[in-house]
Amino acid sequence: METLQFLMDGFAVALTPTNLMFALFGAFIGTLIGALPGLGPANGVAILIPLAFTLGLPPETAMILLTSVYAGAMYGGRISSILLNIPGDEPAMMTCLDGYPMAQKGKAAEALAMSAIASFAGSLIGTIGLILLAPALAKFALTFGPAEYFALFMLAFATLGGITGKNPMKTVIAAVIGLMISTVGIDIATGTQRYTFGILKLYEGIDFILAIVGLFAISELLFFIEERAGAGRKMIKVGKLMLRPKEIIAAVPTMFRGGVLGFIAGVLPGAGASLGSFISYTLEKQYLGKKGHFGEGDPRGVAAPEAGNNGASSGALVPMLTLGVPGSGTTAVLLAMLISLNVTPGPLMFTQNADIVWGVIAALLIGNVILLLLNIPMVGFFVKLLSVPPMYLLPMVTMVAFVGIYSISHSTFDLYFMIAFGVAGYILRKLEIPMVPIILGMLLGPEMEKNLGHALVISDGDWSILWASPLALGLWIVAGLGLILPYIVGPLLRKRMRAAIKEEPTSD
Amino acid sequence: MTARGDRILGLGLFVLAVAYGWGAQQWPEPFGGAETVGPETFPTLLSVVLALSSVYLIVKPDPDAHWPVGRTAAEILLAIAILVVYAFLLEPLGFVISTTLAVGALCWRMGAKPVRSLLIGLIAAVVVFFLFNYGLELSLPGGLLEFE
Repeated sequence: METLQFLMDGFAVALTPTNLMFALFGAFIGTLIGALPGLGPANGVAILIPLAFTLGLPPETAMILLTSVYAGAMYGGRISSILLNIPGDEPAMMTCLDGYPMAQKGKAAEALAMSAIASFAGSLIGTIGLILLAPALAKFALTFGPAEYFALFMLAFATLGGITGKNPMKTVIAAVIGLMISTVGIDIATGTQRYTFGILKLYEGIDFILAIVGLFAISELLFFIEERAGAGRKMIKVGKLMLRPKEIIAAVPTMFRGGVLGFIAGVLPGAGASLGSFISYTLEKQYLGKKGHFGEGDPRGVAAPEAGNNGASSGALVPMLTLGVPGSGTTAVLLAMLISLNVTPGPLMFTQNADIVWGVIAALLIGNVILLLLNIPMVGFFVKLLSVPPMYLLPMVTMVAFVGIYSISHSTFDLYFMIAFGVAGYILRKLEIPMVPIILGMLLGPEMEKNLGHALVISDGDWSILWASPLALGLWIVAGLGLILPYIVGPLLRKRMRAAIKEEPTSD
Repeated sequence: MTARGDRILGLGLFVLAVAYGWGAQQWPEPFGGAETVGPETFPTLLSVVLALSSVYLIVKPDPDAHWPVGRTAAEILLAIAILVVYAFLLEPLGFVISTTLAVGALCWRMGAKPVRSLLIGLIAAVVVFFLFNYGLELSLPGGLLEFE
């Protein structure tokens, strides 16, 4: 009941006219970002951070804006999966399997509407799960000491590559690079200048917002130039919507199962939204067996992965809000926003910044209703966005990135820094070094070092304190598994995901 | 398939790890005497991890990605140059002029027609300038177009 009271307070925060307006704006912009070619959810949220920051929004409003963008981008991403058979991001891959065949049969509008409803159902289930699980987890996390936190951070890095990740060693390298960047500046504990080379600008450390915008937005521009994918795609027509209520009702159990599975996958470290949509789709296919015609445009084949993927994106917020440890790229970017707003993420947030946490959760619920209302009538408009040529779009995105970074500090120096991060991001992405662990390293570095220090002070320099308690030891073991499992399970799982896609008659 | 990319990266990271670790040992002892945990503890740990993983990368590299050569590489370098010049000219020329040029140049290099690119750049620049300076009251540099 206590939770319900908090949730009511959260609604009171989220339903103020300003916050409601920002939620609407965020949902709209998010869908736009998701639908536009070449802009994933993480990119979209990243370029909006500096803007949200410079507008001087109060923390809860800024977070509501960005969570709405996050939810909206997930909605928008499916449009290109269904109409073009091109997934906007990895989790949307499974939506192609039945969405595109539906579109080919002239049922594009139905597929889009079905996926919007399934997304809504998935998010709703995920958010309810978040409401039930998060406070309990936060309470449990209060028992964590510095050693447990240190182990938890290790776990976060180890599982970030995900079970489907390619080379875990590259995740380690990326994480260490991020952590190293975080050590630049004056050491908080002792005041020692570290790696500043006497440059005044480096004394306060390297701002991770610069790094995020550079790594995501600028490197994306360079990738598009390399692939010469500037011309864009031809326009697609979407017919009139003729979805019967019966069809929606028939898919409700599918959505429910998908949403629950997705939520679980989202909460678990290292699984993430791609696994959420994959599991939801394959299990649903097995469950329905001969009764469904999956792969040939079964509406339930659209509903299952969409519910799974959106359930997972809400689930991914659980570790981010309760432990301060994000499970995905986009939630890492949201964490960056929290830190720059001077909110310390972690279990204490639930007591110290209850208005932010519950405001965000309430905003997720409201945002989903807004998204559903926005998406069904406006789908034609969002479809048009698919054909915006990247040659006009990406330069504009770059400009927005410049404007955002410049208006934070009014310093050209920061812009050079951002460009440097962009170039480095391009090279590292070429070498298949993942970007997200770098960002996470920069974000978690100071906390990690602080906890290491505290733990060692408690034990008087005895390193074994880091794995002395059963809880810490357990976290270390899971972290170890997170690094080793991808070697064993990863190739197998990837093969099955590929096989699932290949056996579908996607070519016409 | 060659695997030079990862080897070079591994070598570079190894050098970085050594330099970073060595740098950490050079700091003066903090005021109040050495404790069990100093400013160098965490960086030293990181340098060891990075050194080990970079050696792994040198020994077991992944096959190379397809690196751009010739014209594509030149286009990428040109784009980076445009960005640097944009940052450099932002304050002296002002937001509107520099953005028109930068966005125009990028659109053009990505395949749009030159006149159209400039027009798009100009429109984007003016809209964003007015939106920021008057709508959101964040000041972007006026530069040459500053009247006051």
